[in-house]
Amino acid sequence: MIVTYNWLKEYVDFDFSPDELSHRLTMAGLEVDAMEKLGAGLDSVIVARLLSVEAHPEAERLTLCQVDTGSDTIQVVCGAKNHKVGDLVALAQVGSVLPGDFQIKKSKIRGQESFGMLCSEKELGLTAEAEGIMILPPGLKLGIPAFEALGLKDVRFELGLTPNRPDCLSVVGVAREISAMADRPLKLPAPKVVETGAPIDIETSVTIVEPDRCPRYAARLVKGVKIGPSPEWMVRRLESVGMRSINNVVDVTNFVLLELGHPLHAFDFNLLRDRRIVVKSAADGDIFTTLDSQPRQLNSCDLTICDGEGPVALAGVMGGENSEIKPETRDVLLESAYFTPNVIRRTSKRLGIHTESSHRFERGADVDMVPLALDRAADLIQQLAGGTVAGGHIDVYPRHMAKLSLSLTASRTSEVLGLNIDALEIAKLLGSIGFEVEIANEPQNGALTVKVPLFRPDIEREIDLIEEVARLNGYDSIPVTMPASRLICHQGPSHQQQVRKLRDFMVGAGFSEIINYSFVSDGCWDRIALHADDARRKTVRVLNPLTEDQAVMRTSLVPSVLDTVARNIAYRNNDLQIFELRPVFLSVDYNELPAEKLRLTAALCGRRAPEGWAQERFDVDFYDLKGVVEGILAQFNIAGVQWEGDSTEPFLHPGKSCKVRFQGESIGTLGEVHPKTLEVFEIDQPVYIMDLDLTVLFALAGGHPGFRPLSRYPDVYRDSAFLIDDEVSAGHVFEILKSIKNKNIEDVVLFDLYRGKGVPEGKKSFAIRVRYRSLEKTLTDEEIQSIHGKIVRTLEKNIGAEIR
Amino acid sequence: MKERLQAMLEVARGAVCEVETEKSLLDIRIQYLGKKGEMTSIMKSMGALQPEERPIVGALANQVKEELEQLIETRLADIRQVEIVRRLTKETLDVTLPGRGRFAGSKHPITLVTEEIVEIFSALGFGVAEGPEVEKDFYNFEALNIPKDHPARDMQDTFYVSDDIVLRTHTSPVQIRTMLKQAPPVRVIAPGTVYRRDSDITHSPMFHQIEGFLVDHKVTFGDLKGILTTFINRFFGKGVGVRFRPSFFPFTEPSAEVDIQCVICGGKGCRVCKNSGWLEILGSGMIDPEVFKSVNYDPEVYSGFAFGMGLERVAMLKYGVNDLRLFFENDIRFLRQF
Repeated sequence: MIVTYNWLKEYVDFDFSPDELSHRLTMAGLEVDAMEKLGAGLDSVIVARLLSVEAHPEAERLTLCQVDTGSDTIQVVCGAKNHKVGDLVALAQVGSVLPGDFQIKKSKIRGQESFGMLCSEKELGLTAEAEGIMILPPGLKLGIPAFEALGLKDVRFELGLTPNRPDCLSVVGVAREISAMADRPLKLPAPKVVETGAPIDIETSVTIVEPDRCPRYAARLVKGVKIGPSPEWMVRRLESVGMRSINNVVDVTNFVLLELGHPLHAFDFNLLRDRRIVVKSAADGDIFTTLDSQPRQLNSCDLTICDGEGPVALAGVMGGENSEIKPETRDVLLESAYFTPNVIRRTSKRLGIHTESSHRFERGADVDMVPLALDRAADLIQQLAGGTVAGGHIDVYPRHMAKLSLSLTASRTSEVLGLNIDALEIAKLLGSIGFEVEIANEPQNGALTVKVPLFRPDIEREIDLIEEVARLNGYDSIPVTMPASRLICHQGPSHQQQVRKLRDFMVGAGFSEIINYSFVSDGCWDRIALHADDARRKTVRVLNPLTEDQAVMRTSLVPSVLDTVARNIAYRNNDLQIFELRPVFLSVDYNELPAEKLRLTAALCGRRAPEGWAQERFDVDFYDLKGVVEGILAQFNIAGVQWEGDSTEPFLHPGKSCKVRFQGESIGTLGEVHPKTLEVFEIDQPVYIMDLDLTVLFALAGGHPGFRPLSRYPDVYRDSAFLIDDEVSAGHVFEILKSIKNKNIEDVVLFDLYRGKGVPEGKKSFAIRVRYRSLEKTLTDEEIQSIHGKIVRTLEKNIGAEIR
Repeated sequence: MKERLQAMLEVARGAVCEVETEKSLLDIRIQYLGKKGEMTSIMKSMGALQPEERPIVGALANQVKEELEQLIETRLADIRQVEIVRRLTKETLDVTLPGRGRFAGSKHPITLVTEEIVEIFSALGFGVAEGPEVEKDFYNFEALNIPKDHPARDMQDTFYVSDDIVLRTHTSPVQIRTMLKQAPPVRVIAPGTVYRRDSDITHSPMFHQIEGFLVDHKVTFGDLKGILTTFINRFFGKGVGVRFRPSFFPFTEPSAEVDIQCVICGGKGCRVCKNSGWLEILGSGMIDPEVFKSVNYDPEVYSGFAFGMGLERVAMLKYGVNDLRLFFENDIRFLRQF
């Protein structure tokens, strides 16, 4: 909603400066989104008179003008054609800065000096388009600022109104708020309609078939109007709030809509068949062409204004082409009605037509404004377009709407707001915006009865009145306090600490957290080659996505993580450690909420450490990733998982990936990304991915295993290198080692693994270091030898290991 | 004898002063104090003295021996000091060479601000709650006093999954879920991901919010101001101006928009605050009695307030990030800055 300072001043006499007004409106809940000072900084654009206009000697399209500024005569080169000697023009003198930061300098145009510019309305920011320069009305004093001379100095406020305040969708509505702030009376327009025509009842009639949908419909008839352009003041007023002038009659209806907030409609009376109005619902399937030449298919939910035969307007939304005001229109039927908000809303939404009219009706217009708006429009049409107004008016009002009466107490108000306020103060505040307030005889709790004017449909309950009191009194005046609330011991969802612990671990391990959109394209499952029957293809679909790339809720984080890798590599960020810790959405059943399951998906690629003089380049591999997974498992005290070769994930390399299981339950997968998948994502370097199901991980998380005592005795190492068959997995070797139960084996480390020269084909050298230490004493050489011998023998026996 | 001892001490003193290395000093020690050293031979010759002279000379000999030992110790310390100084002057590093690098991990800025905000409210006694991102229309709208066909639904463009299921447009449904499960008093903060059907330079179809609410006996609008002012001072710094101004949300009454003094220009007016000097950061208000009815709280007995804020906006202000899209592009150069 746009209002201007000058226009507001016509309805309330206030002293606030524009800046102060802007602040006060915002603090009253009518947020000023933008404030524009029209003509600000344009004082050097002055009124001047053209003394002579001659052709430019060098350029056909230009003219050389001698201009009288009142104190001087200067030469200006001008490119327009619409000016002549004697015209008053707006001269931007040298040094002016026009809107758009356009500086006016002294210049030479094709050899002729020019000391300024003759401006068009567009150049002065008055209109969006202009033809030729602006010719000012005669009689203005030369040399004074043009904006001032024209009365165009004004300030435009753009209000960002909340949907509960339809009353402020008008200049008068905003002025009412200002009148409360300034404690000055609101001056409503008082039209005087001169009724010289025949009584309207003879000419036409109005029938409301469905009063629940249209509680009130009033009409006036103006005959013999002359459609033409509106006078200057009307054009300027409409333009000042960004509305284009169309013709005098349409302009009047728009003007009244802006002024009083009440939408009106004007019909060409002679185009109404049977010359009467019937308000009723459309029939299913009716086709009706609105003013914008669009055929619309209606149904019984839509309310229409009909003549004797069929629809002539979509009630409260848009008029029809068949009854539109045209240049040849002579007789005008004016409609001022009230339509039920949700009726208008439904039609406007369904048909996608949002108009100034529907915007107001669907939020709730003021039924009491119907007669005033009608009279105001009839009066103005008569003034602007002539004609005679028929005697009287029609006002069909089958569903009378009474003002709501609410009770309120000062004590309750004070309690909710944390403010001490009494009934008298409340009465004064509410009275200032047109509420009728009665203070009860026994003012014990400060009881009040409040009648709510019909322009405030948002006020329905005591609490709504309390808000009004707070608002009018100013939120600033409510003291800042701290709640005296009882203590509670919060037990948040148990996974929150786990999520935080895991995230902290990943960050500590050098990974950066990423966040991708939860919706992905349906095609992304093909990109990671999921099988046709993979459960992850059963997705939750968004019915109205913005793009097909955001059509389904993701069931896996893998495609997004790979996209992130690819995007980063495209920026030559080749060394990546990233993770995403977010839910996936698993479809359960139609009209059931999906299961939201947290996952951790991480990717590694490129260097193991940043490039530098002090380190060699090592690229990450599977075991870097596995180390991170092992770290996670340790964090959550999960010991003894199985690493099962081949993850069977179609996007992972079958030979370089695995599943992590604990007692048969799958925690997740990890491995090198399949070369084909890399190709699909256009990634040209190896990438390693882990994908963990956090629901499972968190469920398996164990408590602290308990303290193990520290030995005070010295340790002894024994190293042994074995030749073993290549097929024997390290896991198998460790299992065997673990089966040798001896409390003096502190730990076993695989410290070297070697294939190649010196090791026969099909074998590998597997070198372990065993650390021996007892809790009770210093171990003797014999004792150590005996255990170590057992280790060697066990490996020889079980897997045919040979000591090297 | 006395003279011999004195003379020996003088010679030794000279020798000790002259040596430069630890080794030669130790040689001197052997020469004088060793088993076959001069001191020993002097002591051995003591037997030739008169018995009455012996204790006198003996005492002198001990004195000389001690002095000599002291002399050597002192010199040894000096030589070692000189030696270590020489070594240390030779052994230097170019400390301006870069260290052996490691990749440092980083939390997403949205996580960082979430954690910081949760921490502040935890200190104020708020617990953390969560709710589903794909949500029933009932929790997202109906129970929050936003019926179908209400103009307030236009305030938020919604992604639908079915007629009854939406991608939640705010974290407010967590209010409903929490209150349905728990009787007052409640003090809860609920961070989460939300979705709105809007995408341009200042809107992302997915973003993050944090919701907070408190319900108990006699909670006032003044309390709402108190909690939020405390939060803002902790998060944006003490002395940042705060203002509460009337607004509208279907689920609060009275409702307030909370502005802070522009952290970019300090309130003088700039592009970020659209020259107003203020930045809108929070929506808030007293929980509407209708909402209480939908969760079976008696509005005559309890009152409370709720608030919500957009985390991207808060993060943008906190870190001076000028483009919303950066949060979801996941460029590692951006992420590693946090």
